[in-house]
Amino acid sequence: MIRLTDVNKTYPGAVPLHVLKGINLEINKGELVSIMGASGSGKSTLLNILGILDNYDSGEYYLDGTLIKNLSENKAAEYRNRMIGFVFQSFNLINYKNAVENVALPLFYQGISRKKRNKLAMEQLERMGLADRAHHLPSEMSGGQKQRVAIARAMITNPSIILADEPTGALDSKTSHDVMEIFRTLNTEEGKTIVIVTHDPGVAEQTDRLIRISDGIIV
Amino acid sequence: MFDLFREISQTLSHNKVRTALTGIAVTWGIFMLIVLLSMARGVTNSFNHDMMQGNNAKIQVWSGNTSIPYHGNREGRRIRLKDKDMVSVKDNNSGYVEEVTSRLSGGGKITSEKAQVSQSYSGVFPREFTPSRNGDIIAGRFLNSRDMDTKAKVMVIPQRYAAQLFPPDGKDALGSRVNCNGLSFLVVGVYESRWNREVYIPFTTARMMAADREDLGNLSINLKDVNTEKDGTDAEDGVRNTLAANHDFDPKDTNAVYIYNRFTSSLTTKNALGILDTCVWVLGILTLLTGIVGISNIMFVTVRERTHEIGIRRAIGAKPRKILTQVIVESVAITVIFGYIGIVLGTAVTQIIAMLIGEGDNTPLRNPTVSITIALEVTAVLVIAGMLAGLFPALKALKVKPVEALRDE
Repeated sequence: MIRLTDVNKTYPGAVPLHVLKGINLEINKGELVSIMGASGSGKSTLLNILGILDNYDSGEYYLDGTLIKNLSENKAAEYRNRMIGFVFQSFNLINYKNAVENVALPLFYQGISRKKRNKLAMEQLERMGLADRAHHLPSEMSGGQKQRVAIARAMITNPSIILADEPTGALDSKTSHDVMEIFRTLNTEEGKTIVIVTHDPGVAEQTDRLIRISDGIIV
Repeated sequence: MFDLFREISQTLSHNKVRTALTGIAVTWGIFMLIVLLSMARGVTNSFNHDMMQGNNAKIQVWSGNTSIPYHGNREGRRIRLKDKDMVSVKDNNSGYVEEVTSRLSGGGKITSEKAQVSQSYSGVFPREFTPSRNGDIIAGRFLNSRDMDTKAKVMVIPQRYAAQLFPPDGKDALGSRVNCNGLSFLVVGVYESRWNREVYIPFTTARMMAADREDLGNLSINLKDVNTEKDGTDAEDGVRNTLAANHDFDPKDTNAVYIYNRFTSSLTTKNALGILDTCVWVLGILTLLTGIVGISNIMFVTVRERTHEIGIRRAIGAKPRKILTQVIVESVAITVIFGYIGIVLGTAVTQIIAMLIGEGDNTPLRNPTVSITIALEVTAVLVIAGMLAGLFPALKALKVKPVEALRDE
């Protein structure tokens, strides 16, 4: 599903920063993987490259058989929309849109009619057990609920992979457990490929495979 | 498209106070533009109305006193206009002069079998009466050239005298006879006017009645084939030269006869109105510009504030063009919505002012409304202004990298 070959990334500057120093990584379809690393190890950069939010300098990145390299903004936006579902630490919901509208937003950018995308969004929310919260604003929901809305939004386009950046970072241990449970369910029951970046060993333990990154290299 | 508007109405109503404050600047700008344009239009309409009613290609001459000694005559000599001046002015300036008319007044009483009114008669040429300017003929006709040729004893009277002379309502006036200066006149026409109360008889008839009083108070010269200002002044010079030769005064003496050149002064007024119109547009657009800069500024702030949101949208697949469109359409939406409020308010205020000043023949503001054309022009200005106001903030929004935007909390 994901294949990285000798991927390098340097941030230019007065003192150029070589962040990724030849990453080789393979993640198969249906895997639930966690990436761990200290702060500054390059794990966020790696996640941004995996999520097509950032470019890399050399090497190759194949996502679901497609070479992701030097894409135009339009192409990148399209791939992000169709192939990747994002879950962020700070949820990144739009604060003046209610749960259904937030979940439906990716479909808006696919040009799907309002009626249809709201119906699909409701289905996702029901799966997350949030049907009764559908018309609440993010500010009226708990952290766990917000994260479940975010997961519903990531799932709505039926993406090839789900990328989660510290999805439990802002949650208490009980809620974290619930959220991880959702990821496990999505992985086992629907065979979703899920990559979770975390620094919490408890979270990493619940995944099938742990990838450690240190100083820009997979160890 | 509908979806886009829903998105925009959501973002705009999300920040109501700011949207409203920004919009008020545009409302004000458009309000000023509309009020100024309407007023200018009213003044122009009023002017055109006055001008359309009369013949503009006209020169008026009044007699005066010489101020320059000439051919042995001392200054201060009275110049008296005579009937022969009418003929020679026309004959010597046949290129420009179509007709020379004048008027003779006299008498003092007009009587019917039942009543009498105190009013002198005016001996005029047929073209002296312009419908709606002097009044509207409500029965019969005005004087014509046959009346002139035959020195007919016919009369055109205002409705108010018709009612007095032929009570109760003056319906019998037409075709009846009245006496004036011991002569019997046939009433051939009745006119209605709020302010005019002249009693008209043919000039030739009046001349016959006042054979001893030779002097004419004024000459009214109708011009033809005049288009440019030079035509107007040439005609004026021609008239003055002819009169100078007839009465032996210095052609440079502007006091010997007083000349009012209605043609050239109407040209001047027309130019002035054109300049007024341009000034109003410039003023209005500059006022509007303040509002537009305000919108542009606010859109910059909005884009800055929503960097994070734009980042989210881009992460989940919004293409750059979508973001660009959204910001620009948002800006156009604010401009157009609040601009239209300004148009409505401006039109309302203009109507109120027009109502206060009042209608009527001599109102300084005639129909001071903006036409459809102007409304469309203003709309175009609004849309373009809104697009320009949104363009630069939108381009800035595009430069936001999703990664950086997501970090921006």
